[in-house]
Amino acid sequence: MPLSPSILSVLSEDLLVRVYGFLDPPCRKKWRLVSKEFHRVDSLSRTSIRILRVEFLPALLSNYPHLSSLDLSVCPKLDDDVVLRLASYGAVSIKSLNLSRATALRARGLETLARLCRGLERVDVSHCWGFGDREAAALSVAAGLREVRLDKCLSLSDVGLARIVLGCSNLSKISLKWCMEISDLGIDLLCKKCKDLKSLDVSYLKITNDSIRSIALLPKLEVLEMVNCPLVDDDGLQYLENGCPSLQEIDVTRCERVSLSGVVSIVRGHPDLQHLKASHCVSEVSLSFLHNIKALKHLKTLWIDGARVSDSSLLTLSSSCRPLTDIGVSKCVGVTDIGITGLARNCINLKTLNLACCGFVTDAAISAVAQSCRNLETLKLESCHMITEKGLQSLGCYSKHLQELDLTDCYGVNDRGLEYISKCSNLLRLKLGLCTNISDKGMFHIGSKCSKLLELDLYRCGGFGDDGLAAISRGCKSLNRLIISYCGELTDTGVEQIRQLEHLSHLELRGLKNITGAGLAAVACGCKKLDYLDLKKCENIDDSGFWALAYFARNLRQINLCYCSVSDTALCMLMSNLSRVQDVDLVNLNRVTVEGSEFALRACCNRLKKLKLFAPLRFLLSSELLEMLHARGCRIRWD
Amino acid sequence: MEPEDDLCQNNWGGSSSSSSSKRREQVCFTSQHKWEDASILDYEMGMEEEPAFQENSNNNNGGQVNVDFLQGVRAQAWDPRTMLSNLSFMEEKIHELQDLVHLMVARNGQLQGRQEQLVAQQQQLITTDLTSIIIQLISTAGSLLPSVKHHNMSTAPGPFTGSALFPYPREANNLASQTLNNNNNNTCEFDLPKPIVVEEEHEMKDEDDVEEGENLLPGSYEILQLEKEEILAPHTHFCTICGKGFKRDANLRMHMRGHGDEYKTPAALAKPNKEAVPGSEPMLIKRYSCPFPGCKRNKDHKKFQPLKTILCVKNHYKRTHCDKSFTRSRCHTKKFSVIADLKTHEKHCGKNKWLCSCGTTFSRKDKLFGHIALFQGHTPAIPLEETKPSAQKGSSACENSNNNNTGMVGFNLGSATNAIEEVAQPGFMDGKIRFEDSFSPLSFDTCNFGGFHEFPRPMFDDSESSFQMLISSACGFSPRNGGESVSNTSL
Repeated sequence: MPLSPSILSVLSEDLLVRVYGFLDPPCRKKWRLVSKEFHRVDSLSRTSIRILRVEFLPALLSNYPHLSSLDLSVCPKLDDDVVLRLASYGAVSIKSLNLSRATALRARGLETLARLCRGLERVDVSHCWGFGDREAAALSVAAGLREVRLDKCLSLSDVGLARIVLGCSNLSKISLKWCMEISDLGIDLLCKKCKDLKSLDVSYLKITNDSIRSIALLPKLEVLEMVNCPLVDDDGLQYLENGCPSLQEIDVTRCERVSLSGVVSIVRGHPDLQHLKASHCVSEVSLSFLHNIKALKHLKTLWIDGARVSDSSLLTLSSSCRPLTDIGVSKCVGVTDIGITGLARNCINLKTLNLACCGFVTDAAISAVAQSCRNLETLKLESCHMITEKGLQSLGCYSKHLQELDLTDCYGVNDRGLEYISKCSNLLRLKLGLCTNISDKGMFHIGSKCSKLLELDLYRCGGFGDDGLAAISRGCKSLNRLIISYCGELTDTGVEQIRQLEHLSHLELRGLKNITGAGLAAVACGCKKLDYLDLKKCENIDDSGFWALAYFARNLRQINLCYCSVSDTALCMLMSNLSRVQDVDLVNLNRVTVEGSEFALRACCNRLKKLKLFAPLRFLLSSELLEMLHARGCRIRWD
Repeated sequence: MEPEDDLCQNNWGGSSSSSSSKRREQVCFTSQHKWEDASILDYEMGMEEEPAFQENSNNNNGGQVNVDFLQGVRAQAWDPRTMLSNLSFMEEKIHELQDLVHLMVARNGQLQGRQEQLVAQQQQLITTDLTSIIIQLISTAGSLLPSVKHHNMSTAPGPFTGSALFPYPREANNLASQTLNNNNNNTCEFDLPKPIVVEEEHEMKDEDDVEEGENLLPGSYEILQLEKEEILAPHTHFCTICGKGFKRDANLRMHMRGHGDEYKTPAALAKPNKEAVPGSEPMLIKRYSCPFPGCKRNKDHKKFQPLKTILCVKNHYKRTHCDKSFTRSRCHTKKFSVIADLKTHEKHCGKNKWLCSCGTTFSRKDKLFGHIALFQGHTPAIPLEETKPSAQKGSSACENSNNNNTGMVGFNLGSATNAIEEVAQPGFMDGKIRFEDSFSPLSFDTCNFGGFHEFPRPMFDDSESSFQMLISSACGFSPRNGGESVSNTSL
């Protein structure tokens, strides 16, 4: 026993807890491996957890007694039986529960969970397509609920919503996006019973102006999202002019029948509005709009994508709304350098600027933005064909805080441009899709300087090869999302380098004809966190690659194998070994027989949630397999 | 409700001829009651028709209504003086009403929803006024035509006789509330206990396809009698070329087009009997007889009553002389021989499907939601459906896949029998990379965690599941099958 009483032993437990509090998640993982004491501190202090495998749920619940937030959204095999067995553990202190995509969880399990977590305040059951009225009734047992996300609960009707509304009257936040069965009656009841509602999302619902009238009576509503409500028109928005006194944020993007006058009526009624998102419903920025928007002294976000905006109106707009930090003018007709330059001079606090598809914007405007708006964090320049390295030079010089840059389809971007961009050392997300003029040289610059990069999109960048990818793999160690689909020059030599990226979780290798099993094996061995893998049309990968994948990529959750030459055995191995796999695309597999598919699917049918299959298989696969998949909450798309 | 009654009465009380007209009304209604009682159903039907009637009477105060109504006042002698006073009273009344409506129109712009109650009251007032005017008009008109043939009355107890009853306060009230209702939600459904009545009415229809006492002289019409087989045949129109049967002649004609161009001419496609009409002599009226001997509708019966159309024959025959083969799927109590009857029944029977936790049922969702919004502690009930084969089936299925490992062994090249058990063996691949970690089942947050070794994996193993019994039945996944595919697909 090396008796060197380390400095750590003099630290008392509460001090350790304080130190622990300053650590970020990766460090905490290392922390708990230091000693028993440290481990104890970790188990006592940890409040939130995201579980990858449901088998460990009971153990983790007893190990971390103070958990308040539990995320089960990526757990396969989560079903009623699992939850019912948890019931014996007694009550837990969990306040926030994420059950997104837990499609196999039904009313029985939900009710058990709701009873188990006494103080439950937040629940996310989004994308559970089987979540219906019965499940809603089960959930309503948790009377203390304050926030509920019900996005895309396709079977939920007004009756189910009424159960939740009546069971949990303290609701302050609810999202009903894509709950297509919800009608005016449900929304009306919600607004009558939950007067404390602060945030409401009714996007994509078939609700009419009647619902908006009910919503307008909510005294505390701050955020209203109503993207693409096709039946709501300007008359509906007029109810909002006199209602919802606390409204701060509204999103009426793509509401077909809403026009400028509706937006103006909202603006008139709410001088304290901070975020106004009216993309693709305003056709033109008129004088009355400009006049009214002057009154919004606190406006921070303004999205008017798709509108006709002249330079003069953009100037007026920016001079009256100087505190703006986020402006979206993508696909706006009439936006030129003059307008953008004026905007940049007036709104110097700008953090996010979306100029996608504004074809007349040139380097001059980008330079002006870079020089005036020093806090710029996000810049979207998709399809701005006139951007060249000159514009990017000033970005590299001045925009030191730039985190996200979208240059998709800007064919003026070349290696010199990338050299300038690489000076933005804080860059986290870079999109260079369809930029065919960049080569290995440009990649070296990115790889050598942008070490913080999290996401890199090189979709169809045909100009760079293995050396470029190697440079990226060496330099951008924290990458967790990499897209190199259809980069035809890449071969095994380059792809093998990807294994250096330990944090990689999302990898798209679509259409890389030159890579073989060896390349895939190297990737599978190195990238242990791989969660999403797209191998569509990688025709030359042989079984050795898939075997490796089956053995090493234990965290793979989503895989696309369309047009791959995978054999029956390899497919079965993959499907049975990948214990977290949940979303699989298996179309056009030439070497796989019907029996092979049947076996493979049987091996993983208890964890699949989404599946894409070749249409004729619908009649060739055994019916009990299909029933089984359906019963476990798996959706099958026949292609 | 009461105040409105009073309102109605008061209006009349205020008129000059109030007492007389009131008395007259009572007379007429008691007289009407004699035959009204016999057909309460019609009376109920009348209630259904009320909105239409009201519209009607608003436009032209009279029409068929007074034709029906005047039967009730046939006993009244015609008195020109009463008539004149009645007319002047009505004129006065209409002017009053006109002024009131003018006023309301003028104020409508400002009111806009703020004083909905006031508006509603005004509407009630107008409705009652209008009602009183209509009644007055009807009774006045009735006195003009002193003699009406008695049998007309019995042949046509049309729906409007019922609605003519509405001078009874209750009726007037209903009318008022219904108009209100209409104004509020632009729908024409009322919350009256109607459905049951309508249903009974359909029961009655069994015997009443043709109105009783259609006084056709025997011999003035041609009697046709279809055979039983003909009546029960699903198709009545057959293609002469290919023999395909159709329910409708029009469909047959459409079908015939496929047999050649000669059937595509406008003449061939036109309705056949339309050409016959402009012929010289009017066709002899056709009536039908039921082939069932001893039936009242059979032509040999003493009191033979013919059936009007082929459809009547079909429905009559099925309803009276056939088994009731259509059963109600939900309540299993009622049987029908005509499918249309079943559908009608289902429309009304399954209507109250919106259920509240308090046990109240509603025909419409919005009524249920209104109820819920009004009362504390009431929630919509979710009907108990057949239990879905959800997780149970699924778990038995997944267990099945686990238990079938033996079948899969050969398939997995014998190397990873336990592949599905997720404890794959290290050393299978001659990997150049260290892979002990990756094989560890402990991948919570992808960080290996010594402490978790103490939790044995089979914590969630399905072996102790109660679904073991189901395996063999739930899935016909036999090892033999597996063996076959191995041979098919082995490398």
